Amino acid sequence: MKRRDFLKSALVTGAALSLPAGLDPVLNVLQAAERPDLAVARGTPPARIVRAAIGSLGGMKRFVSRGDIVVVKPNIGWDRTPEYAANTNPEVIAAAVRLCFEAGAKQVKVFDHPVNDPRRTYRQSGIAAAASAAGATVSFTDSRKFKDMRINGTSLKSWPLYTEVFEADKVINIPIAKTHGTSRLTLGMKNWMGVMGGWRGRIHQRIDESLVDLAMFIRPTLTILDAVRILTDNGPQGGSLADVRRLNMVIAGTDAVAVDAFGATLFGMKPADLGFVRIGHQRRLGSMDLAAMNIQRITL
Amino acid sequence: MLKHIRRLSQALFLLLFLWLFLSTESRGANELGYPVKLFLEADPLLYLTTVLSTRRFYTPFLLALVVVLITVLLGRVFCGWICPLGTLHNLAGCLKKERGPGKPGHLYFGKYLLLIFLLVSSAFGLQLTGLADPLSLLIRSLSLAVYPLFHSAVVSVFDTVYTWDLPVLTKCSEFLYALLKKGFLSFQQPHFQQALLLGLLFFAILALNLREKRFWCRYLCPLGAFLGLCSRYALLNRSVSEVCDGCGGCAKVCPGGAAPDSKEKWRKSECLLCMNCDDLCPRNAVSFGFSRKPSGAALDLGKRRVIGAIAAGTVAVPLLNTSPLKKAGAADPRLIRPPGSLEEAEFLKKCITCGQCMKVCITNGLQPTLLEAGLDGIWSPMLVPRIGYCEYRCTLCGQVCPTGAIRDLTLEEKATVRIGTAMIDKGRCLPFAHATPCIVCQEVCPTPEKAIWFETVPVKNRTGRLLTLRQPHVDLELCVGCGICEAKCPVLGRPAISVTSIGESRSRDNQLLLP
Repeated sequence: MKRRDFLKSALVTGAALSLPAGLDPVLNVLQAAERPDLAVARGTPPARIVRAAIGSLGGMKRFVSRGDIVVVKPNIGWDRTPEYAANTNPEVIAAAVRLCFEAGAKQVKVFDHPVNDPRRTYRQSGIAAAASAAGATVSFTDSRKFKDMRINGTSLKSWPLYTEVFEADKVINIPIAKTHGTSRLTLGMKNWMGVMGGWRGRIHQRIDESLVDLAMFIRPTLTILDAVRILTDNGPQGGSLADVRRLNMVIAGTDAVAVDAFGATLFGMKPADLGFVRIGHQRRLGSMDLAAMNIQRITL
Repeated sequence: MLKHIRRLSQALFLLLFLWLFLSTESRGANELGYPVKLFLEADPLLYLTTVLSTRRFYTPFLLALVVVLITVLLGRVFCGWICPLGTLHNLAGCLKKERGPGKPGHLYFGKYLLLIFLLVSSAFGLQLTGLADPLSLLIRSLSLAVYPLFHSAVVSVFDTVYTWDLPVLTKCSEFLYALLKKGFLSFQQPHFQQALLLGLLFFAILALNLREKRFWCRYLCPLGAFLGLCSRYALLNRSVSEVCDGCGGCAKVCPGGAAPDSKEKWRKSECLLCMNCDDLCPRNAVSFGFSRKPSGAALDLGKRRVIGAIAAGTVAVPLLNTSPLKKAGAADPRLIRPPGSLEEAEFLKKCITCGQCMKVCITNGLQPTLLEAGLDGIWSPMLVPRIGYCEYRCTLCGQVCPTGAIRDLTLEEKATVRIGTAMIDKGRCLPFAHATPCIVCQEVCPTPEKAIWFETVPVKNRTGRLLTLRQPHVDLELCVGCGICEAKCPVLGRPAISVTSIGESRSRDNQLLLP
């Protein structure tokens, strides 16, 4: 720790001790100045790097309060086992669920509206078992809970979305990094297609604008991008182990655009190569300017 | 007393049957874990006619053999004590108003003629038994019509209460709904073509009980006829002692129409061993016991009728074979068979149209045919991708097929089996016809190396602006015909990509590429 950092934190801690409780917000702002924009943790096992990444962002308590109902949204889109990197890593999901409970969450809900049959994807992905074991409420989507919502975006005006996402106190998006035919990559913003009802395939006509519309409407508290394994070709479904690369990495942040921008670099792309990242940046949903960010890299 | 034990047995077997029926549904794993084929495997008529039509023995046959042995020893115990359709007939018969002594039926030979017809036609390679076999009929009717009806009705009731949003009532109903969902309701609403026809037929067969109790069992059931023949020389016989005063009470309660009041002339092959007559007899004159001496009246079907049935069974085969659908290359292109299905002629010899594959299909894509496979292939399974695609890593339909018309594939085999080939309609596909990006078909394509590839092409739109679009193409070598592209194609109505049976692995002729 540099001397300047030491003084700064000493000052903050000293201030915290001397300030009355009513000035907590001020304190938070001061602490926030120190926090990284993105945390990138590398190593094994997945549960440890998730903890490390969230820890460096200030711990799960920063995002989840006591008594909260939290929605953790993985990608459970495909009837594939974890080694094929088509769905979010179950250990990453389980670790996030545990962190939520440790931070005092009352209930953690885990669901997705998969492309393949839900019974199979929930099971084959290993997510239903891992999340339930961590204490989460794992459920299939209920068709009654898709309600038309006024998104008022540039591309999507209204669409049936899953109400449980909007009824929750906190929403944590946990996608996996994969290639995709239309949007080139599927990362955090694309994961919100999993709460869309109706004939959602149509949004591929204006995929980038639509994804930004969705992301501006949903706005998760936190995004954790699972790059323990990434799928480098034949995405988003894969099926060949030759297309899977093991990075043993997770990327966490509050800025959905920044997380996806970093995700692009995992595939040797520039953030601006992805239409939805570029548009998200232009429309001020977040920033894709990785050079200007405080990125904390942790290797375990 | 014996009557009550019989009823208990009927109830237990009906519950077992229904439990296995409800278990014929995926819970996420690729195995069901329950012996859902049990009743069909215990059906000797299905086994016999399949062996006749394919000229090949197959396993398992143990249960069917046991049923035959029991029948040979004891008589039609299966009909009276086990058959779930028989039990449903008993229940439906409770609705019949009793008025006066019913005339004992004389048309009981009908079912024997049907049996002869089925045996003869199957010997010539035409398997139609599944249409009339009680177990096949019951599973098909429940799967395709009654269960979807039940599901829809239950869900609509709970949905209505849900929308009322009342403080206590809605909470209770939601709790009950969650319970039902766990064990009794389908994962999603099943939808089947011809549900109406199949449902009406089934309810009509049940309604026949209002005319005469167990009408089906007396006059129509070919399995009953087969077991009746087996029971001709059964060791368990009915005897009536001298004290009988001929009150005729037993004839009124006899569900099989076995003419028990005519003492030594009772029709043994019609006796369901229900024990009603034994229990009812006011003078306690009736008893059942083992004896070697043959008793009962001879079964007289009438020579002319038997010859007629044999002739009909013989003629039916060439008649159905003249359908143009049997001509090479003229099969209905929509006839996409489940993965692992045998070559069409062999498939039709084995498929008993029980509907188990359609019941278990997780996407609801397997539907009953009407005439797509010819009249002899009616109600056999066909994939309709617009309703549901074939899940790439699922092999359930082969697992539940009782006769092996659909082979039980391993996942490795399944990945190599082609059920058809997708082709693109450039006149409707968005990137081809309308200068609009899409590629949903490529996204959902499940083969490890995607069978749909795209070409990046500069396209001018109406205003003359140059767009770069990705246009999809199908790799004929890689496409397995699963139909998920067709199922998910956002061009509703007629999809811009669709699957036909061409290229199916099971056919030698229905191919496009040179081998």
